[in-house]
Amino acid sequence: MDRMACVDVPAFPLQILLRRHPEWRRLPAAVVDRDRPQGILLWVNEKARTLRVLPGQRFATALSLARDLRAAEVPSNEIERAVAATADRLRRFTPGVEPADGEPGVFWLDASGLEPLFRSLRRWASLLRADLADAGFAATLVVGFDRFGTYAVAKSSARSGLVLFDDAASEREAARRIPLDRLALPPSVRDALWKLGVRTVGAFVDLPPRGIESRFGEVAHRLHRLASGALALGLSPAPPAEVFAGRCLLDYGEADAMRLLVVVEDLLRPILAALARAGRAVLELRLGLVFEREGERTESLRPAAPTLDAAQLLDLVRIRLESIDLLHPAVEVSLDADAATATREQLDLFRERPRRDVAAANRALARLRADFGADAVSRAALRDGHLPEGRFSWEALDRLAQAVPRDVAMPPLIRRIYAEPVPLPTGSRRDVGDALGSYVVSGGWWRRTVDRAYHFAETNSGDVLWLFYDRIRRRWYLQGRLE
Amino acid sequence: MIQAPYASLWCKSHFSFLEGASRPKELLAAAKTLGVAAVALTDRDGVYGVVEAHRAAKETGARLIVGSEVTIDDGSTIVLLAESRAGYANLCRLVTLGRRRSEKGESAVHWNEVAAHADGLIALWGGDRSVLVTGNDATCDAIAPALREAFGDRLYALVARHRRAEEPRQEARLRTRAGRHGLPLVAAIEVLYHDAARRDLQDVLTCIRHGVTLATAGRLTKPNAEHALASPAAFAALFADDPAAVRRTLEIAERCRFSLADLRYRYPAERLPDGTTTSEWLRQLTFDGARWRYGGDVPEGAAAQLEKELALIDELDYGGYFLTMWEIVRFCNQHEIYCQGRGSAANSAVCYCLGITAVDPVSMGLLFERFLSRERAEPPDIDLDIEHDRREEVIQHVYQRYGRTHAAMVANVIRYRPRSAVRDVGKALGLPETALDRVSKLLSHCGEIPAATLAEVGLASDGDAHRHLLRLATEIQDVPRHLSIHPGGFLLGHEPVSDIVPIENATMPDRTVIQWNKDDLEELGLFKIDLLGLGALTQLHLGFDLMERHHRQRFSMATIPRDEPATFEAIRRADTVGVFQIESRAQMAMLPRLKPRTYYDLVIEVSIVRPGPITGDMVHPYLRRRAGEEPVIYPHALLEPVLAKTLGVPLFQEQVIRLAMVAADYTPGEADQLRRDMAAWRQAGRIEMHRERLLTRMIAKGIEPAFAERVFQQIKGFGEYGFPESHAASFALIAYAAAWMKRHYPAAFACSLLNAYPMGFYSPATIVDDAKRHGVLVWPIDVATSAWPCTLEPAPESPHAFAIRMGLRYVSGLPSRDGARVVAAREQAAFRSIDDFAERTRLDEGALARLAEAGAFASLDPDRRAALWTARGLARFERPPLPLALTEETPAFAPLDEFETITWDYEASGLSSRAHPLAPLREDLAAQGLPDSAAVSAMEDGARVRYAGIVICRQRPGTASGVVFMTLEDEHGFVNLVVWSRVFEQYAALIQTATFIGVTGRLQVEEGVVHLVADTFWPPRVRRTPSSGASRDFR
Repeated sequence: MDRMACVDVPAFPLQILLRRHPEWRRLPAAVVDRDRPQGILLWVNEKARTLRVLPGQRFATALSLARDLRAAEVPSNEIERAVAATADRLRRFTPGVEPADGEPGVFWLDASGLEPLFRSLRRWASLLRADLADAGFAATLVVGFDRFGTYAVAKSSARSGLVLFDDAASEREAARRIPLDRLALPPSVRDALWKLGVRTVGAFVDLPPRGIESRFGEVAHRLHRLASGALALGLSPAPPAEVFAGRCLLDYGEADAMRLLVVVEDLLRPILAALARAGRAVLELRLGLVFEREGERTESLRPAAPTLDAAQLLDLVRIRLESIDLLHPAVEVSLDADAATATREQLDLFRERPRRDVAAANRALARLRADFGADAVSRAALRDGHLPEGRFSWEALDRLAQAVPRDVAMPPLIRRIYAEPVPLPTGSRRDVGDALGSYVVSGGWWRRTVDRAYHFAETNSGDVLWLFYDRIRRRWYLQGRLE
Repeated sequence: MIQAPYASLWCKSHFSFLEGASRPKELLAAAKTLGVAAVALTDRDGVYGVVEAHRAAKETGARLIVGSEVTIDDGSTIVLLAESRAGYANLCRLVTLGRRRSEKGESAVHWNEVAAHADGLIALWGGDRSVLVTGNDATCDAIAPALREAFGDRLYALVARHRRAEEPRQEARLRTRAGRHGLPLVAAIEVLYHDAARRDLQDVLTCIRHGVTLATAGRLTKPNAEHALASPAAFAALFADDPAAVRRTLEIAERCRFSLADLRYRYPAERLPDGTTTSEWLRQLTFDGARWRYGGDVPEGAAAQLEKELALIDELDYGGYFLTMWEIVRFCNQHEIYCQGRGSAANSAVCYCLGITAVDPVSMGLLFERFLSRERAEPPDIDLDIEHDRREEVIQHVYQRYGRTHAAMVANVIRYRPRSAVRDVGKALGLPETALDRVSKLLSHCGEIPAATLAEVGLASDGDAHRHLLRLATEIQDVPRHLSIHPGGFLLGHEPVSDIVPIENATMPDRTVIQWNKDDLEELGLFKIDLLGLGALTQLHLGFDLMERHHRQRFSMATIPRDEPATFEAIRRADTVGVFQIESRAQMAMLPRLKPRTYYDLVIEVSIVRPGPITGDMVHPYLRRRAGEEPVIYPHALLEPVLAKTLGVPLFQEQVIRLAMVAADYTPGEADQLRRDMAAWRQAGRIEMHRERLLTRMIAKGIEPAFAERVFQQIKGFGEYGFPESHAASFALIAYAAAWMKRHYPAAFACSLLNAYPMGFYSPATIVDDAKRHGVLVWPIDVATSAWPCTLEPAPESPHAFAIRMGLRYVSGLPSRDGARVVAAREQAAFRSIDDFAERTRLDEGALARLAEAGAFASLDPDRRAALWTARGLARFERPPLPLALTEETPAFAPLDEFETITWDYEASGLSSRAHPLAPLREDLAAQGLPDSAAVSAMEDGARVRYAGIVICRQRPGTASGVVFMTLEDEHGFVNLVVWSRVFEQYAALIQTATFIGVTGRLQVEEGVVHLVADTFWPPRVRRTPSSGASRDFR
């Protein structure tokens, strides 16, 4: 490889944050590790830097330097997703893309042999930057020859945006002039070197390597070796995420579910074979249909457990195909699988049991999901609230656990709760006999005030109702019934 | 229908910290309004609020029952009410047991302890945290008989109703169990606030207590607003099915006859020589002391005064209190701890002769009645100042002498202020903590929370969160948050203190604290002794020690020359940086005007720069009369004796009191009430109550209405803080001693000041620069010579013979144990190199780096960067068992220039002994036409000035109508700025944040006092921003 480039999306998590809060762009802003005054600043923008607000400071300290400093957390999974998406974008311009480990927003690119495709490296670089700008990221791109040289110059060229070196010597010379505090050094090392008057890469490189290692540790030493050229690392492009997918264009439109199932089966077999080679199993299957006139549709299907069982998967596809109205013929079918490693427990799910076959129940629930949609199976989970509807919530049930029934001496009365309290018509009072109450539940003033007086009332017909009078709306509601 | 009254027997106030949402007095007032027959204040594991409730009960006429909800070690609770004095003592003892064995803020007692303390107490067993409701049958059946046996017919089952769905089931269980054990039922609501409108605040307090937000609190908050004090009608309706349980509340209230007024307190008797009474022993000590004070024969006037005081002390039976103070002072003297009584005790000749105070009240004509009077019938209050770094020795001596049961420190209740209110309420509302941190930094320490400030940090002003934050943060202000400890107040008792008030653990080790604050003690007439820390005494002690060691001159506060002219000459020049009480910007501005020449002038100087005289418009008339610019006249001949020594202008609190007595015929009782109302100036309206009475009576006596009005304004002003003459006299002694030392032994003075720090008005950087301006050599920290404290070293080249060597204590972040290792290793042999230093001291990398950055290795390697490089390498270097030569070569580093050297000094030690931060920039500043402070001082009145300096002080006194005073400093001295509120508002951000600032304004020179009245502020244009010590900012 004779050419290498480095993309720096400065303060990458901060740019993610600023996409979330565009009103903060004109202020000093920072990403913190936690939303506390003691939270550590991880990334800061230029406005903050000019006020000497630097990564590594505590938020409270930084606030004393920049009184209008804005800060929030950016979760690591959000950063990871953005890094992966950005790497995918960059792959449109070069197959060799290496996201920097531990420094989100930095990517090394293989820039060799691209001139014929893009007419010139400058044009390639300009197109690439424009593409990142479309994605909402301001980036610096340096095209040069060396991993460290391009990186160092990229980290210090926030305003210039694009730098192209024609020879390695000028790249090396430019790198020596780079302020050290632009590089990803631990703050303690950065400050210690600053104290010693070591402010540039050049001054850093001039220090003895053993002295660096013994005083500032492995990270600084590695950076020193990279900067001095003692350690030359080639590009280690990250492979694109493994894709387990297939697509089939139909010669003619097909609206029959069974015939579409045959097409799906043809797509599924090679996918399962690929998964098996990778030691993985289907976690979720996405079935894509493109129709002649009606546009397209994607259906998600999730087996009870990761599986390579084609019959089980096809059964789920069949149920789903039969449940949707295929008003228009499909002209394209695609299948795309998310994979997971199968565990022994998952395999156990298929083992036959004499009673209470949980695996069978889970398969049945999977069929229900296939038939009625992914949210069709849910269960009530207890919550710590005061209102009846606040004492539980519905959560998706992915997998049924083995039941462990308790012995109860005196079973309580069963209360059936309505999904929404039902307003009672005026005049219902005459149907009510004895009533207990009132029991008052009120609160929520910080969000939406609630004030209810609850009663248990027996109707003339013997039903026991669970009623409340809403003191704010001034009317009666039926919360549920007792059995 | 007339409803029968009831007594509310389970009420928790703000003093169930972060649980109750009303003040005790609000509960009592509401009870009176609603017609509730009695209120039992039953705060959680304490009686913190009973004194406030007692006062409120007296004021409103509502009936108070004293009790507490006591936490048991199984997590359950029981409510105990004091039926009698014996019961109250048992309650205090029981709570003390629970508190003393627990962490601060917690309490737990055993059931058998409850039973053992049952005498005189009524127990109400119930509520949703009681065993009777939540426990199983077996537990309940095990506990109930023991309680029944201990309490007899004073054990009740408490039926609590709050309209919760689960309560009928719980109540059924309680009724069954109560029936089984023969417990009568009594009705109650767990009252958490006097009005349902406080429910929101109660929710927020609950969240703060549990560290959760409202959204995540779940069932930690109450499910409804049914915890308000109910009217008799509502209470009767709630318990309509059980009127007997309602009637029983009155029966219990009737049984609880205890009142705090029943407390009888005896001050501890001293251990006396055989056969001697307290009175005889005090008399003997007093007259022994008088002979020592007056040099043999006691003057007739003094003897008469002593006789008068001793007779009154005897009559009021306060002898023990004086003997205690004498004993503490004796302990201090024996252990060479400087101490001095302050405050009104200095009015007492007995205190003077016992060595408690140092001012002779007889020769000064001080008013003894200000200290002690028959009419006032309140305990004497002696505050003893003690060297601040040795005060703990004296505190532990008091504990040891009287025992933990008979001595405990007084509490200080920490209450919500705007910053803490916004932080805690905001967290409960789930607002981002970073935003709350931002807003709280913009708020002042007290006062309102402006809506605009919330909007400024991005909390939308139209949002619900903003509205709730503003409302609740305002509402929570002044609510007690937790208990802290008074700086030095002790309650001592002849009987165990824990019979009067529970004792609990403080956060500080070896400290125990009572549940009442100083106002509570005053309300109940209990004796308190105050052992206060005073840095100035530490400084003087250290200074006198240095003088003895290095100058072979043995002095003490009592033996320094009196009224020494050179000292007063320096004071008149306002050369008082570091001098106790007269070093502030305002004092320094006053000194050249007042021109003190005698000790009594200093007493006036200390008193005159106070909000009282300033707002009372007394300062300028006094100065004019003193300068002979206006005649000394008295508005009425009667007032001449009162005002003669202050030229007809009242400057002291005593004068104001006497003025009211003479001019308005105040009786001693009325005068005492006036003094109390002045002391309670924070409570609006108390002084105003005197207005009409004072004006009418003065006018009736022939005093001009205008003067009468002015006298009232002066009284009002004093209310906001005026000094008693005796207090000023005590402080003036210390001020004089410090000024004398500064004038004659400036090196010892500055050295001792640096070692006594933190104290005083200025940062160490300013103290060092001031010392240098007085010709004192200040040598930097050096591991070859520096001790832990700053020391004096012989310096023949210095006019003062000695130079200050900065101590290792000024290396930021260096622990004292590391300093001790350095000194110990050096005592073995001088350090040969940094390597040798590191090997022998075994300090860690951080300590070595800090020493290198501070320049402390200068004698081993003058290049600080190279020393830092070496130090870092050595700390990580694994030393071989045998010494080996290190082969690593030190790289060449850029040497520090003068600016960097000073910056490093400031970063590593907060000051620079080498030069002022502006010295290296002077050329640059001069090129811009900016003068230094010496040049500014030499300019004429009215000159236009542009100046730039380091901000060392900002002050916005409440008496100055928004005017801000700032002091800027450079290498030549100070420039004092006056910033009118209009200018301040315009440049607020720059003024509040800049450490180096430029100002343009007009010079005001008056009687040698120079002020620059600022028009505009600007950031100076310099290549590098100079370092500075932190600005000392005051209100």
